[in-house]
Amino acid sequence: MEKEFRVLGKARPNHDAVLKATGRKIYVDDMYLPGMLYAKVLFSPEAHARIKKIDTSKAEALPGVRAVACYKNVPQVRYNSAVRYIEHEIPDTERIFDDTVRFVGDRVAAVAADTPEIAEAAVKLIEVEYEPLPVLLDVEEAAREDAYPIYEGGNIVGESYVNAGDVEKGFAESDYIFEDRYETQAIHHAAMEPHVAIADWNFEDKLTIYSPCQNTFGFRVILGRIFGLPYSRIRMVAPAIGGGFGGKLEMTVEPVAAVLSKMTRCPVKIRYTRKECMLSTRVRHPSVSYVKTGVMKDGTVKAVEFRMFTNTGAYASSAMNVSGAMSHKVFSMYKIPNMRFCNHPVYTNTAISGAMRGYGSPQAYFGMERQFNKIARALGMDPLEFRMKNLVDPDSCEPVFHNPIGNPRVKECLERAGELIHYEEALAEQEATKNDRLRIGVGVAVGLHGNNCFGAHRDVTTMMLKMNEDGSCILYSGAHDMGNDNVGLQMEMVSEVLGISLDRIDLVQADTDACLWNLGDYASRGTFVEGKATLQAAEEMKKLLQEEASKVLKVPPEEIEFADNAALWSKDPDTRASLAEVMLHCQRDSGRELCCSATYAARRGACSYGAHIAKVQVDMESGAVKLLDYAAVHDVGRVLNPLTLKGQLAGGVHMGLGYAVCEELCYDEKGKPLNLSLKKYHVLRASEMPRLHLDFVGGGEGEPDGPYGAKSMGESPVVLVAPAVVNAIMNAIGYSLNRIPATPERVRAAIAGQKGE
Amino acid sequence: MERIQFRLNGKACELEVEKNWTLLHILRDIYHLTGTKCGCATGDCGTCTVVMNGEAVRSCLINFKKLNGSDVLTIEGLSDGERLHPIQQAFVEAGAVQCGFCTPGMIMAAKALLDHNPDPTEEEVRLALEHNLCRCTGYEQIVEAVLLAAERLRGAK
Repeated sequence: MEKEFRVLGKARPNHDAVLKATGRKIYVDDMYLPGMLYAKVLFSPEAHARIKKIDTSKAEALPGVRAVACYKNVPQVRYNSAVRYIEHEIPDTERIFDDTVRFVGDRVAAVAADTPEIAEAAVKLIEVEYEPLPVLLDVEEAAREDAYPIYEGGNIVGESYVNAGDVEKGFAESDYIFEDRYETQAIHHAAMEPHVAIADWNFEDKLTIYSPCQNTFGFRVILGRIFGLPYSRIRMVAPAIGGGFGGKLEMTVEPVAAVLSKMTRCPVKIRYTRKECMLSTRVRHPSVSYVKTGVMKDGTVKAVEFRMFTNTGAYASSAMNVSGAMSHKVFSMYKIPNMRFCNHPVYTNTAISGAMRGYGSPQAYFGMERQFNKIARALGMDPLEFRMKNLVDPDSCEPVFHNPIGNPRVKECLERAGELIHYEEALAEQEATKNDRLRIGVGVAVGLHGNNCFGAHRDVTTMMLKMNEDGSCILYSGAHDMGNDNVGLQMEMVSEVLGISLDRIDLVQADTDACLWNLGDYASRGTFVEGKATLQAAEEMKKLLQEEASKVLKVPPEEIEFADNAALWSKDPDTRASLAEVMLHCQRDSGRELCCSATYAARRGACSYGAHIAKVQVDMESGAVKLLDYAAVHDVGRVLNPLTLKGQLAGGVHMGLGYAVCEELCYDEKGKPLNLSLKKYHVLRASEMPRLHLDFVGGGEGEPDGPYGAKSMGESPVVLVAPAVVNAIMNAIGYSLNRIPATPERVRAAIAGQKGE
Repeated sequence: MERIQFRLNGKACELEVEKNWTLLHILRDIYHLTGTKCGCATGDCGTCTVVMNGEAVRSCLINFKKLNGSDVLTIEGLSDGERLHPIQQAFVEAGAVQCGFCTPGMIMAAKALLDHNPDPTEEEVRLALEHNLCRCTGYEQIVEAVLLAAERLRGAK
C-alpha cells in the first residue's frame, strides 16, 4: 500500500531557493577571512616533461608575495584525489607539485600574495626549464605493450572484467553477429561556479578548508595522508556548491591552498579562472569501445561483448572507480544471458579524467545503444520494439550473480516516452522526409544508473538530529547540497515523520567537525542512502519524543503520534501537547537533551532506469542537426518531489545533449588544449534546446529498500541522451556515425564516406 | 586612478577606480555585493549579468568609462525590503533555482527583458537568456519562471 504523505510528494522549491534568488547565498568565492591571501598556480605548458630547473627567486622577491611553493618545498607524498574512505587503496600517482609534469595544465608551482594581481604577476616570474619526455595522447597507442611508460609498470592502470553466462556459445548460436567500434570524447563539467577553496592553517595546526566539494570526509582522508594531520586537526566544510556534477568530487585546488596556508599561516584563497578549470581540473573519460553482439533473426539478443579502453589521462584518479562502476551497469538492462565486459583504463598525457555525472555509463551505453539501433534496422525491426523484446522485467535477476534487480520499470518508461513524442507520427515524418535535404530522424535509447556504491565498497551514511527546547529541530547532515536539494528532501523526511513543520527544521551540512560520517555526494546516493539514513534518524527521534510526550500526556508512548508541531494521543487527539511543551518538560523536568543518530548501510544496489526518444532534423548538405523534440521518462520508484525531479531530468537531458552534438575538449598534436573558454567549448543555450516532454514512472510499491520506495534521478538521464540523439541522426541520414559529438563536420563525413546502417 | 560617478541600486556613488577595473570587480570587491557572480570574467557565462541603464549587461565586460554616469541595478537592489520581486518569487516557485550560481544573472536578464517586453513569447524569453548559461536546469523551469513572472507583472498593472 502506498502511504499517504503529508509533506513529501508535493512540488517544493529547493529549501534555499530564496537565498539564491536574492543573491544572499554565500558561496566560497563570496567569503573573505581576515588577513586572507590569494593564490595563483603556474601550469605546465608541456604535455610530458621533467623539470630540469625551476627558479622562483624573482617571484619571491616581488613585493606582496608571501610564499612560493613548488616540488622542492612541499610534501612529496603521492596521493589519489578520488580516495573516499580511510583504508581505500587506489593507485597513488599525484603530488601537490611534482618534478615531472604529465599533461598540459599540470601544476608546477603556486604563489600566495596579498592580492590576486600580485600573485598573478609573480607566477609569470617563475622560470622553468623542461626536459621533454615522449608524449602519448591516443588511448589505444598508450595501451600498447611497447608504448613509452608514463608510469613504471606501463600505462594500463588495471582491468575491470565481468562475465555472465557463456559468451562464445551465445555467439555460436546466434543467427547474426555485429561488430563495431565507438568513440566518445572528453568533456568538461562546466559547472557555473569555478573551482575555489579557502584554506586556513592556523598556529594551533588546525587546517580548516572551505570548498564547494562533494566529499568533505573523503577530502579529509586525502589531506590527512598528505599532511600527516589527525582528523581532529582537519575540518572540511562545503558551504554551498555552485554546480558539481562530479567535477568537485575529486580533490583539485584544496591541497595547494592548504600548503600555502601552512607556509604563511594566513588563510589562502585559490580560485581558478574558467580557463584554468577547463585546463586543470577533471574531464569525463574519453573512451573507445568494441562492441560485438550476437542476435537471432527474431531480434532476441543472445550475447554481447564489450572491449573498452578509457583514457584516464595523466593521473590515476577515478580510473578504477569509474571502470569498476561501468563494468556492472550494462548487465541489468536487457534479458541477455551471455555478456562479457572488459575495460582497461589507460594513462596518457592528457587532462585528468574523473567522476562525471553518469560515471562510466554514458560511454558504455553509447556503444550498446548505438549498435542496437543498427541491429534493429538490419533485422527490419522497429528500434523501440527491438528493445521491448529484450528489456528486463520487474522481479527478475541480473545474469552475473543472479541477484534480484528490484523493480525496474523501463518498459513502462519506453511506452510513455513513445506516447509523449507521438512515436508513430514521428516515424511517419522520418519516412516522408527520407529523400529530402532536411530530414527528420527519430532515435530511441534506454539506460540506467545506480543508487549507491554497493558492491564496490561500503556505502554508509549517518544522520544526526537534535531537538531544541522550543520544539524545533536541527538535522546534522554530512550530505552536500548539490543543487538538487538532496538536503531539502532530508528535512522534508524529518518533517514527514516527526510532524514538525518545515519552518521549524534547519540543518548543518557538509562539515566534518559537526556532522557524522557520510560517504559523499556521488553515485546518485542522495535519496536512496542519505534519505534512508535520515528516515531512520527521524524514526529514532520519534521514539525519544514519544517517551517524553508520554510523561506529559500520561498515555503509553507507543500510542503517541506527532502532527502540526504537537504530540497527540492516537486514541483521543484532543489529548495533546505542543512539541514546545514536550521539550520544555524534557529539559526542565527530565533533565535531558534529545539528540540521536542513525547509520544506514546500503544493502543492495538499485538501478534507476530511463527511456528517451529524440526527434531531430538533419540538413544533408551542411550536416547541421536541429534538436526538435525530446521525450525522457524515468523510473524513480516513488515521486517525492515532482518539482525538483523535473529539474534534475531536464538538466540531465541538457548535459547529455551537449555531449551528443557539440561539447568536446580538443587538443592539438602536442596535447595542447584548443578550446578553453565556454564560448569555444559550447554549452547549449536556452534557444538551442528542443521541446522537452518529461515524465516519471513511480508509484505502487516502488523500489525495495528505497525511502518510501524512492530511488535516484541525478545521473541516469545523462546516460541515454547521446545514443538517442545519434540514433535519430542515423535514422535520418541512413549512415553510421560512431563518434560523438555529432558535429556538422562529422555528420557530413558520415554522409559522404561510410556504409549504410 | 579615475574618479567616476554612477547610481547603484538607487544610491548615488562616487568612486576612485583603477583603469582595469570592471563593473564586476567594483560590485564584488569594492561594494561587497557578492550576489553578482563571476563564472568566467570573459563574457561567456552571464552569471555576472546586471541591469545597466535598463539593459542587461555582463558586468565583467563593463569598464569604468561605460560605468561613469550610468544607473546600475543588481540582484541585491531588486527585492523591496522583505518582499521578493515577482521575478524572484517566480524563480523560486517554478523550481528554476538549483545550484543557484546562474540565478542572479538569469533574474537580472529577465528583469531587463520584462521591462522592455511585458508579454514575451517563449521564444523571446529563450533569446533574451542567450548570454546566460545554466548547467543544472536545462533552462526549462527558468523559462517557465520568466513567463510566470511576466503574467503576474502584467496582472499587477
